[in-house]
Amino acid sequence: MASTTDPELKSSEPPPPPPPAATADAVDYFKIDVILRVLLFASSLAAIIVIVTSQQTEIVPLLTGGFARRPAKFKYFVAAFSVSGLYSIITTLASISVIQKPQLKLKFLIQFIFWDTLILGIIASATGAAGGVAYVGLKGNDHVSWNKICNVYDKFCRHIAASLAVALFGSVVTLLLIWFSAKALHHRVPK
Amino acid sequence: MEMMIRKASVCDFVVRIVAFALTLMAAIIVGSDKQTKLVPIKLFDSLPPLNVPLTAKSTYQSAFVGYAALSLVVEVVIRRGSSRWLLGRMIVMVDALMVGLLFSGNGAASAVGLIGLQGNSHVHWTKVCNVFTKFCDQFEVALSFSLLASLAFLFLLLRPLFTLQITH
Repeated sequence: MASTTDPELKSSEPPPPPPPAATADAVDYFKIDVILRVLLFASSLAAIIVIVTSQQTEIVPLLTGGFARRPAKFKYFVAAFSVSGLYSIITTLASISVIQKPQLKLKFLIQFIFWDTLILGIIASATGAAGGVAYVGLKGNDHVSWNKICNVYDKFCRHIAASLAVALFGSVVTLLLIWFSAKALHHRVPK
Repeated sequence: MEMMIRKASVCDFVVRIVAFALTLMAAIIVGSDKQTKLVPIKLFDSLPPLNVPLTAKSTYQSAFVGYAALSLVVEVVIRRGSSRWLLGRMIVMVDALMVGLLFSGNGAASAVGLIGLQGNSHVHWTKVCNVFTKFCDQFEVALSFSLLASLAFLFLLLRPLFTLQITH
């Protein structure tokens, strides 16, 4: 693969000492990696902010005759996305530093896939849990007389829905990170 | 070296079959999970309690069957083309997708199950597991099976990384 591109590179510019095709491919990958990690950070931050600001108190005379508190706290959701936000900051820095030091790429790729998979598990389960509860809130469940609450807490539900959409985007970004890392690892491991 | 790789692939295959069996069992248990119970409801204090038959039935059935079918497809793919490199990469990608889907499915099911177990007094969702005990027990068993299955898929995804770390 490298031998076909070598003459062109030599004719256009002075040849760099490391094998050119492999590093070019890997540097491109790590740029995508940095962008995706920044996206993950942005989406987890947005998800946390939107869900934390979703508190709504509503006077519900039929149910309680007083002030109802906010229906659910989604603690697990906030915790999971705090972890993923922190993780994405650290790994963005790591990914940038790997661009500077190409000899560490293989080790970092292995570590990235490992931790990305765990983070994917965490935020996917958080998204699923919040989505499940939100679905019950939206539709209700007649069999066990859980009434729908989204017609009462409309602002709250809009916040939850927006936050869930952003969270789903973050999960997809993490999945893409794993896929790209696997692809880069596949290119780098001699077989 | 060759021996180690062969051992690892046999191990992968066994774990994959275990994961398939676990998801299938979870799907069957959740699918057959149904309980009808006579629940006494007091409409007015002066009247005698009214017995109402209530049925608890799970709605996650189709999702779990989908997971099982997907894992079956993955298994067939790996049995056909374990030697081919492109298919190996495809399997890694599908495995990652499966980990995401299984974990979110588990999250959703356990969150709703937790509401069923504890209720939510803020919005008057009463707990139902004191009434539908058999239903809830069966649901818990299925949930733990599918949790084990998702851990198996996690193992399948991470196991090659450990061999890579040893060999490089």
